[in-house]
Amino acid sequence: MTRRGFLRITGAGLAGASLPWLAGCGGGSGSSGASAGGREWKRFSGMTINFISENTAPTSAIAANLTPFKKLTGISVTIQQLELTSLAQRVALDFGSHSGEYQVIYADPYQVMAPLHDGFTDLKEFMEDSSLPSVPKGTGDFIPTQLDAAGHFGDRLLALPYDAPTMIWCYRKDLFEKYHNRMQEDLGFDPIPSDSSTWEQYYRIAKWFNDNQDDVPYGAGHQAKQHDALMCDFSNVLWAYGGDYFEKGQKVGKLGTTDPGPSTLDSPEAIEAAKLYKKLIEIAHPGSTSWDWNDLGEAFGAEECAMCPEWHEFAAAWEVGSLKGNIGYARLPKGPARSANHYGGTGIAVNRYASEDQQKAAWLFVVWATSPEAQLMDLKSSVGGGTPTRTSVYQMPEVKHNKNPLTNMPNIVTAPAVLEAWEPQNIGLRPKIPSWNQCDTIIYSQVSQMLTAGKNPEDAMRDAKIEIDQAVKGVPSAI
Amino acid sequence: MMLPALVILAAISILPLFYIIWMSLNNLTLLGGTGISSHWTGLGNWGLMFTDPGVWAGWLAMVIYFIATVGLEIILGLVAALVIHEVVWGKNLALSLILIPMFIAPVIVGLLGRFLVNPTYGLYAWVLRESGIYGGNILGGSVSAFVAVVLMDVWEWTPLVALITLAGLVSIQPQILEAAKVDGASYLERLRHIVLPSIAGIIIVALLIRSMDALRYFDIIWQATNGGPANATKIIPLRLYESAFRFFHLGYAATIGLLMLAVSILVANLFTGILRQRGLLR
Repeated sequence: MTRRGFLRITGAGLAGASLPWLAGCGGGSGSSGASAGGREWKRFSGMTINFISENTAPTSAIAANLTPFKKLTGISVTIQQLELTSLAQRVALDFGSHSGEYQVIYADPYQVMAPLHDGFTDLKEFMEDSSLPSVPKGTGDFIPTQLDAAGHFGDRLLALPYDAPTMIWCYRKDLFEKYHNRMQEDLGFDPIPSDSSTWEQYYRIAKWFNDNQDDVPYGAGHQAKQHDALMCDFSNVLWAYGGDYFEKGQKVGKLGTTDPGPSTLDSPEAIEAAKLYKKLIEIAHPGSTSWDWNDLGEAFGAEECAMCPEWHEFAAAWEVGSLKGNIGYARLPKGPARSANHYGGTGIAVNRYASEDQQKAAWLFVVWATSPEAQLMDLKSSVGGGTPTRTSVYQMPEVKHNKNPLTNMPNIVTAPAVLEAWEPQNIGLRPKIPSWNQCDTIIYSQVSQMLTAGKNPEDAMRDAKIEIDQAVKGVPSAI
Repeated sequence: MMLPALVILAAISILPLFYIIWMSLNNLTLLGGTGISSHWTGLGNWGLMFTDPGVWAGWLAMVIYFIATVGLEIILGLVAALVIHEVVWGKNLALSLILIPMFIAPVIVGLLGRFLVNPTYGLYAWVLRESGIYGGNILGGSVSAFVAVVLMDVWEWTPLVALITLAGLVSIQPQILEAAKVDGASYLERLRHIVLPSIAGIIIVALLIRSMDALRYFDIIWQATNGGPANATKIIPLRLYESAFRFFHLGYAATIGLLMLAVSILVANLFTGILRQRGLLR
């Protein structure tokens, strides 16, 4: 089960009516907004298109409210939601056979877009077509780092940002307040997460909780199972210490490339990061080495630990339970280099192998599903929903008024933290390269050996570097 | 008269076999998204596979997993069949209850197992912790995780072995056992000298069936541990799956798959040889 599937099943999100969707309400100035309802929206009326997506909360929200799109365009949309690995397989086979069965694709930048980049249509083709609706408020309304990371591969724009899960520091505000004075006296610094908090301080805070209180069994929890989750968790520390997977790694992560060059995991910074990460897991909740993000989310919600680095979307589940209002959110601690907050967002893209008309119909759906109106609907949906990827949505009055902890829009509680996390100097971007799946497996396998099989950090990083270099060259291996 | 059936059989089994052999001789990949790209490498994939430490590690884990699961299933299945065979009242109910696990999809068994040993809310984790038997993270240690997935597999498939063995037990003529009892043979003596020799062929069939399954087992481990921690549970079928469907290296995956097929054929021939030797196969 993915983290988003967990959120949907636990009924996270606002209990309340979704926003009524009215076609034909006047669009933005000078542009064909999603709600404009002009003739360019009706060209493909009667057509049916297929959208294949990971089983995410935003897609659940969209699926529950497709009527406005149907009214606007006359197009029927069938949505298939799958676990991400299955989705990647289906898309790979679709592209391999050129069948074009899925016209709209949830294009995870690392597991789908980068490995299969030539199967997607460059969206600029649609933007330059005056007979088609344009992106409401333009692509400049998307948060810039997200448009690059989730949208671009090289110089092509292949997707529009659709969701934006990001790892941030989640902590029990009530416990930090309860023990604040004692912690400050014992540790010699203010433990409340702030811009100056470091990973070393995080380690000491976690240890303090282990040794000095009984409210929760452990200070920190992590998603350190041999799984993509482990790579995500480890990467925050790697980047904070100035290490990276490749030289110019953040540029490789932002725009993507087919040739990232040699891996830099054997750098002193990467090895230092690995040593610290091993230290963190040694004092973390022992369940950490078998937890992925869902398990960690459940554990934190069950009060098994006082803090954790976790995907911000889990706030929606925590903020409707017994911990409502008692959780704080901040960007992750910094290392010698910076604070790095792993971005895991995705865009939606158009299948190049669909027919021309189907591609254009798919474009209408892409524009609608990523419009400000759709993102506001997502935020308020009772069946899930996610955090907006557009700056303008955060400026809307009803969104601004709901950023307090007792909000009825739990997805927005983390907004101050994630908006900071998305700043170019704070965002953490994993490499967007065709062989990423293989590299990902190498990384989390080696780190898992470091954490649970006694492999020393230097050997783990050096072995990972050797294997990654082979993978990037296209050499197959059974990792 | 058999020709149409043979043609269909050839189409659905022999042609794909030739195709997969061809795949193993090419660098075949789905990477890029432009379709299946291939170029001839001859025995390149085979050479790579036999020098890939990941493949050898996968086979080593596979052998240990195979011996542990099949061995335990045979022993426990035999014991369960002997017990059920002796039950007089409620035999059908007992049999139905014992057979339930094998009707559950393996992927659900993996999920169930994972939930039951979860440190946060897992029932088994709680019982083991509170009783002092084991307080660690079951799926977080290499040995404990391996034992856990073996036990999940044993829980699911022991009933199958029990069922097959029971079929053999009911075929033993009761008069022979009665005569032995009258002659003063104890239960263990009857078991050793009459029952086990009578059902030896059946046990070998059960062994053969479970061996073929165990050699390609995937679902439980994938759900429970994803092959971890530290690749401790990453048997060869998981590595094949990742090569094909995560890394999109179809040619290399075909090579691994063909080796698995070869090993399966060897194992099957071993057991059928034993059956032939005992005169149970014509």
